[in-house]
Amino acid sequence: MVVMTHSVRTRSVRSLLTGMAMLLVAAALFSGCVGDKDVADTRIISVSGSTTNLPIAQAVAELYMDIHQTDEILVSGGGSGVGIRAVGEGTADIGMSSRDIRQTEIEQYPDLVEHVIAYDGIGVIVNPENPVSSLTLDQIKAIYKGEITNWREIDGNDRQIVVVGRDSASGTREFFYEEVMNKEEFVRTQQELNSNGAIRRTIQQTPDAIGYVGLGYVDDTVRGINIWIDDRSVAPTVSNVADGTYPIARSLYMYTRGEASGLVKDYLDFLLSDDGQAIVAREGFVPIR
Amino acid sequence: MKETGSQPEMHRVLDVSKSSITRQKKETLIGIFWLGTALFATVAIILILGFLVREALPAILEIGIWDFIFHDIWNPASITPQYGILTLIAGTLLVTLGAMAIAIPFGIGTAIFIAEVAPPQFREVVKPAIELLAGIPSIVYGFFGLIVLTTWLRTSFDLPSGATWLAGSILLGIMALPTIVSVSEDAISSVPDEFRSASLALGATRWQTITGVTLPAALSGITAAIILGLGRAIGETMAVMMVTGNAAVVPDPLWNILSPVRTLTATLGIEMGEVSIGSTHYHALFGVALVLLIIALIINLSASFILRNIREGQIGANGEPLLSNATKTRLKQVMLVVAPGVIFWIAYQISGITGMAAPAILLGLIFAVKQFFSRQIQEKMAFAGVTLATAGVLFTLAIIIFDIVSNGLPAITWEFLTESPRNLGRDGGIFPAIVGTVWLVAGAIAIALPIGVGAALYLNEYTIEGRITRIIRAGNDLLNGTPSIVFGLFGFAFLVLFVGLGVSLIAGQITLALMILPTIVRTSEEALKSVPDTLRHGSLALGATRWHTISRIVLPAALPGILTGTILGIGRAAGETAPLLFTAVVFMKRDLPTSLSDPVMALPYHLYVLSTNVPDAEIQQYGTALVLLALVTAIYAVAILIRRHARKTIRW
Repeated sequence: MVVMTHSVRTRSVRSLLTGMAMLLVAAALFSGCVGDKDVADTRIISVSGSTTNLPIAQAVAELYMDIHQTDEILVSGGGSGVGIRAVGEGTADIGMSSRDIRQTEIEQYPDLVEHVIAYDGIGVIVNPENPVSSLTLDQIKAIYKGEITNWREIDGNDRQIVVVGRDSASGTREFFYEEVMNKEEFVRTQQELNSNGAIRRTIQQTPDAIGYVGLGYVDDTVRGINIWIDDRSVAPTVSNVADGTYPIARSLYMYTRGEASGLVKDYLDFLLSDDGQAIVAREGFVPIR
Repeated sequence: MKETGSQPEMHRVLDVSKSSITRQKKETLIGIFWLGTALFATVAIILILGFLVREALPAILEIGIWDFIFHDIWNPASITPQYGILTLIAGTLLVTLGAMAIAIPFGIGTAIFIAEVAPPQFREVVKPAIELLAGIPSIVYGFFGLIVLTTWLRTSFDLPSGATWLAGSILLGIMALPTIVSVSEDAISSVPDEFRSASLALGATRWQTITGVTLPAALSGITAAIILGLGRAIGETMAVMMVTGNAAVVPDPLWNILSPVRTLTATLGIEMGEVSIGSTHYHALFGVALVLLIIALIINLSASFILRNIREGQIGANGEPLLSNATKTRLKQVMLVVAPGVIFWIAYQISGITGMAAPAILLGLIFAVKQFFSRQIQEKMAFAGVTLATAGVLFTLAIIIFDIVSNGLPAITWEFLTESPRNLGRDGGIFPAIVGTVWLVAGAIAIALPIGVGAALYLNEYTIEGRITRIIRAGNDLLNGTPSIVFGLFGFAFLVLFVGLGVSLIAGQITLALMILPTIVRTSEEALKSVPDTLRHGSLALGATRWHTISRIVLPAALPGILTGTILGIGRAAGETAPLLFTAVVFMKRDLPTSLSDPVMALPYHLYVLSTNVPDAEIQQYGTALVLLALVTAIYAVAILIRRHARKTIRW
């Protein structure tokens, strides 16, 4: 009945051990490539928070580290709330936020210092197949309130409008809610997504959808809607935000615990220098000067 | 049954030397040790629950528990914020229900096909292939869902948007499939051949044998498979939030599967990162997590209650079965009338009188088949059905893999695999992310495997069913039902801040280990259970101690099943984004980790950031997805080879 010799079970145990050993060896090989770096000379800081600021922070960090080989800057996302908490709690040296710091956060972490690092225009986007190319702020508001539900009402196709917006914790949405909606409520059937990338992808996929993203995400796979202001149609571009004609724009922040010093200061100074601000522009944001 | 206690006593009678007493002490110590590992999951879930309650309490006190749960507007960002989660609860339940309606028939059909119908060579190829589906990261499913699935739904139903309840259910169904297929197939093929032979010898067809003998005998394993799949579906965050539209509305009418919905997990996934810490919104989100856990608790506990009744009914053990046979028959008759009625009503509501045609034809067909065809033809039809189910599952697998491979291949160069990323990942490679993922997964398995197998050993070898095992199982079920995003939050608050590990490799490894522990415990326990008692009796009768019997006889025999659990664990750990978000990862790091306290890059997180926050990195996204898939495949391949080898050499 029971046919299981000693050699058989030893073999199967051995093969398990062999398998695990192989995994460990593989892992060790990977890590074997780690160079022994002189730890004493290395300065390390971590930057965490808003995913909107992430491309700027990372691109500037890369350039900075190319120039200063012994410094290391670790950038991670998570969101504005995570960033402010991380710098407040001390798990990060810089917290990134795409919204103003809230009263509760100021009370909790009173020694945070604010740095404006760039401006970000918000572009309203539609699918390239959509014939609508310009809207007034009032029309956009009416769409997001659910008062205009068909593209026909604003000289488009006879199709139902799919309203796409950001999640209710998003700094981008908060800004949109205050500046475009004038704090009136969004239509309840609004689809909610949690990133610029997800919104753009949805607009690309959905012919009748409308959404809003940071300017860095307005490219030729979607159509950026021009805004009618005083009989002038203003396109969502960096130059129009910079000269103040495009109406939907906000500040991006970095927070430090107390005044910046050491590598944190060097990094922020570099970010605010001409080289740093050139990267801001390259990533589709608006430089602060 | 299990030889609890009797064996060491016999020793004492035979041999009263000191060595036997130390031996006995050693046995007890080993037992206590495994009890410790078994309680691990329970302790973890109590910590998580306690933490959630603590963080949720301020919001629940402020909003009021009734308004929090039964108010149907969730609008925290308004000047007059509203925190009602009824729509979110409805969304979670509806999406999960839909996913199970898809995954259970397809999953069990495929398991039957692989275990009972297909030739063994087919099984050798197809089972690993389906298990591979579990290794596809949820974010890739999300991509696939957003690009292929929602577009298909939008054009074929002429909808304004394909982001719907149906899309979420289909996607979650696909994601739950590998777990259900793999674990139920194990259960079905471990039914002793004597059962089948006896049934066939009595003149039953193969199909009658399957439905009448094999499936009932494998029922506990299949139920375990469904519970595992359910846990996966209810806890999924990343994929579901990409395809359901996330509009906080209850479908109107309730069965409108083409309405957008929003789940509890998606709410956590999309709002947790940005929310201001300490605000009512923040605490309300913990309330959302708490409600999610409670729903998981209710589903899991009722599932294990059903499971226990099935087991007791099977072995005819002490106590009455849940339902007497007469009640069962009556219940069946009622269901026969009610179920078609409900189906017709739903079909009518969706698409009027014409919509009723489809279910009518289907029911007519089933009736006609039962009535007019011979058993042999019924069997052929049933086999055709399970073959079709398998084909459907394999076809889906093929589409997803093809999508990743064809789009990812152009990105794969030597540079991509061996260099650090530059220019936000648009240039350079992903080497640090590959290493980071390997370390995270290896660490998670190194922690979860001994604990998980230890827990399974305790449950199956050291104790009889009682209050303690019920607590252990409940803890394990709950941990299984805990959404990955909640693990991430717990990892951040407990490991990163409270224990003070910081954002580090070790914090990520422990978080991932907690997440995959239940899968390993459950599958290992099933594996141990499938080892015949005759093996244990033989070993004990020859004078071996219990630990000797376990380590030399039982564990090697259970190895294939334990490996299946490990494989599923690896697949899950490698592809998860949510638990790592706040515990272990950074977006970019040029150097490889040198210690456990370093933060790391990880493939799924890299993919997540590339796809959501870096414009113009589409090729690199698919490249990263392909590498992740290939890496998981490689790990799988090793484990699958070991399993196949073990299967071939062990016979009883």
